[in-house]
Amino acid sequence: MEDLQGKNPQSASGTPHGHTRTVMIVDDDQINREMLGFIIQDGYHLLYAENGLDALNQLRSRPQPVSLLLIDLKMPVMDGFELMQHLREDEKLRQIPVIVLTSETDAEVDSLQRGAVDFIKKPYDMPTVIRARVERIIELAEDRRIINSVETDSLTGMYNKEFFFEYASDMDTSAADGKMDALVIDLDHFHLFNEMHGRAAGDEALCQVADAIREELEKTIGICCRCEADTFFIYCAHRDDHQEMLERIAAHVSSAYESTLHLRMGVCTRTDMVQDILGRFDRALAACNSVRGNYLTSIAFYDDELYRHDIHAQRLVNEMRDAIRQKQFRVYFQPKYDVSGEKPRLRSAEALVRWQHPEFGLVSPGLFIPLFEQNGMIRDLDSYVWQETAAQIAAWRDKYGRVIPVSVNVSRIDLFDADLLDRLNAIRDGNRLPGGALLLEITESAYTEDTEQAISVIRAMREHGYAIEMDDFGSGYSSLNMLLQMPVDAIKIDGGFMRAIAGEQGNAWLFDSLVDIARHLSVPTIFEGVENENQYRMIRKAGGDVIQGYYFSKPLPAEQFEQLIEKDKRESQKNEEGTAC
Amino acid sequence: MLSVQALKDWGANTQEGITRCMGNEAFYLRMVGMIKNDTHLEQMEEAAARHDLAAGFEAAHALKGVLANLALTPALTPAAQLTEMFRAREDADYQPLLRELRTQMTALREMLS
Repeated sequence: MEDLQGKNPQSASGTPHGHTRTVMIVDDDQINREMLGFIIQDGYHLLYAENGLDALNQLRSRPQPVSLLLIDLKMPVMDGFELMQHLREDEKLRQIPVIVLTSETDAEVDSLQRGAVDFIKKPYDMPTVIRARVERIIELAEDRRIINSVETDSLTGMYNKEFFFEYASDMDTSAADGKMDALVIDLDHFHLFNEMHGRAAGDEALCQVADAIREELEKTIGICCRCEADTFFIYCAHRDDHQEMLERIAAHVSSAYESTLHLRMGVCTRTDMVQDILGRFDRALAACNSVRGNYLTSIAFYDDELYRHDIHAQRLVNEMRDAIRQKQFRVYFQPKYDVSGEKPRLRSAEALVRWQHPEFGLVSPGLFIPLFEQNGMIRDLDSYVWQETAAQIAAWRDKYGRVIPVSVNVSRIDLFDADLLDRLNAIRDGNRLPGGALLLEITESAYTEDTEQAISVIRAMREHGYAIEMDDFGSGYSSLNMLLQMPVDAIKIDGGFMRAIAGEQGNAWLFDSLVDIARHLSVPTIFEGVENENQYRMIRKAGGDVIQGYYFSKPLPAEQFEQLIEKDKRESQKNEEGTAC
Repeated sequence: MLSVQALKDWGANTQEGITRCMGNEAFYLRMVGMIKNDTHLEQMEEAAARHDLAAGFEAAHALKGVLANLALTPALTPAAQLTEMFRAREDADYQPLLRELRTQMTALREMLS
């Protein structure tokens, strides 16, 4: 449909942020559409739809709602009343004010009853009045939205974050010597609750938590807000023990559901005035996160240890860029052995990053990778590792005349980077490597949680010749059905998962099933984290293809890895000689 | 060549039509020009021929809306009467009014060509 820009976007109809408001005219007759558009065009961005369905499709494909809908009643395909019915049923679209366009006097009352806020009579006798009404209706709707949305969260009726902090600061100012505590309450694995019981039940549970918190606050001085989906902030008078309050809230919520919701709390007590209110809630949140998934302890106080941990983490984040420049990150290589033949053969390797910090020594990737994932710096670190790895593959190719493929991690954030392929291609081509030299590992959860984005990017990468290994398989929630649709060249079985099934008696059949699944997909299985003979045997027996783990070798610096290449070369020569004899 | 004067001579209430177009004559004439491609009259005639009064109403109502907005009175008068007849599903002879509408629409289209 047409999409015409109003002539004068600088008029008074712009929003306070300088955007031009968008108005949609829905009428099956082009002349009527254009005449009305002509009347109101100054200052509005206009959209046109020729029937209700067309309007609905356009509205649903827009990220932002329009400011006003002008709807004709009599239209083919979907008439105005049916459109209004659909709008009312849609949580987002029902906010849009509707003016009905009609020549039928008796339709006016009906229109208002069905949710229209006003009507404009056809023919359009008083253009200036129409303009004024359009302006007024938009203004009223925006005012109403602002009043409703600014102060409270629409689900629970609690303050929203901004107002909460505003009021909390007021409490600090007006009761400067009263000791106040910053509390954060969070629901463990709330997304699972949502998945099991449905979104509506999840919303209901959040309302239950909100009610229980409000009930608690009636007994003391305090305010609360819902900060994010399942995180609540409370600012209340200091007490030595908040455990009881947390238990009462948990009991209130659990009584409503058969499955127990686990609540956790972080507390930052007000021992001094150094931290501002936001800082104290940051600390309470850090304390709350420190007991995430810990079912034995549900409450944590921000203390010296957490403080030191935070400071340490902050230092690592601050120093990361310099560390890359100074090459403090070293790439280690852990071999992957092909075990499908009689004797294991070196097939490829995985590049693993280590941080040799000048002050802290070797820093665990388990510590710094999550930090870099949080602030997006993982992108730079990934690029660094890809470059170092590609250079190493090239060096070995020149030295041994053999391309040893090495897999590198592609983080989830990389999948959202429009330059991803350019970055990879530049590195691969810069080192004159063939297509299959750089293998890309993408974690299973990226496939399942960002499915569409992941699949489209992965398809593009494969088209450019990269082989994709699905990493950590077994740690996420892939269904078999999803697996069948996923573009993948190898499946890496998560080490923890592998150890769990190898350790349990009677679970050996799971190895067979995993290998069967991979065969069905026509891709090899790579078992990582293989540590002992028993696991090795079970995998071989099941027909697993590739093994990576301490059983063969720990991750090695490039110089030491070369010994494995040389050893494999000798083995290969021996075999050839044997065959020749 | 379509002109405001010609429309006025034909009987259109051009002043009213132009007012509805924010006083812009050129825009008004452009809108009137678009009627050249309007097929509602033909739809109405076909519907009447097969006694499909519901379809006749849809077409008559749509055409009436456009003619009313542009204040094209000579065609609007029979179109409005037809709309009401179709709306009431009147079991009557629609032909005289259809002929009248056809005459006026032909006169209008001749001005547009």
